[in-house]
Amino acid sequence: MGGTNISNRIRQLRFENGEMTQQQLGQRIGVTRQTLNAIELGKYSPSLEAAFRIAEVFGVPLERVFQYNPGKTPT
Amino acid sequence: MSFREKSAWITLIAILLVSAAFLFHAPRLSHPGPWDFHVLLACIAAFAVIEIVSFVVLRLRYPEDARTPIDERERLIHLKATSLAWGVYVVGSFLAVMTLHHGASAVVIGYLIVLAFVVAELVKYGARIVYYRRGV
Repeated sequence: MGGTNISNRIRQLRFENGEMTQQQLGQRIGVTRQTLNAIELGKYSPSLEAAFRIAEVFGVPLERVFQYNPGKTPT
Repeated sequence: MSFREKSAWITLIAILLVSAAFLFHAPRLSHPGPWDFHVLLACIAAFAVIEIVSFVVLRLRYPEDARTPIDERERLIHLKATSLAWGVYVVGSFLAVMTLHHGASAVVIGYLIVLAFVVAELVKYGARIVYYRRGV
């Protein structure tokens, strides 16, 4: 609990999209700022729908946002 | 801290305060009387007042956060915490009923079931806070 074996580039993508804040991105995909922060830190794996929404906001494929690391043991 | 985590803290503290007040004022469960029932009712009323006033203040202080609909992670947190609390309540209630075989009266068993409920609620809101802190 508290960790996943899915990493992401949300922080980088927010930076590349005009320093979008977590609050702004959260509002666009329908989650709270705290949930988005948990996703960014790898503490929570979002639903498939939320993951697609994030990719859609940035206009990139899903795999550009999330990466599955099977070797990493969830904590 | 999210609005719902603040809400969980308020409820947790309210339960602790009211439970402590009840345990302090009604320790005579071996000889329960009408007074204990009145204390119980007063504690329930006090809990309702604390909750209502706190939530009104919280909503006025954080109107934006209060309007944010519950999201998928928060729903998962609530589900996991409720599941944990349900287990505590079932075990607690079962143990309360078991005291019947040790000569406990119906009133004492009733209060023990209320105690199981209170402990389960404490577990529920405590677990929510832990899950909010951890991520899930």
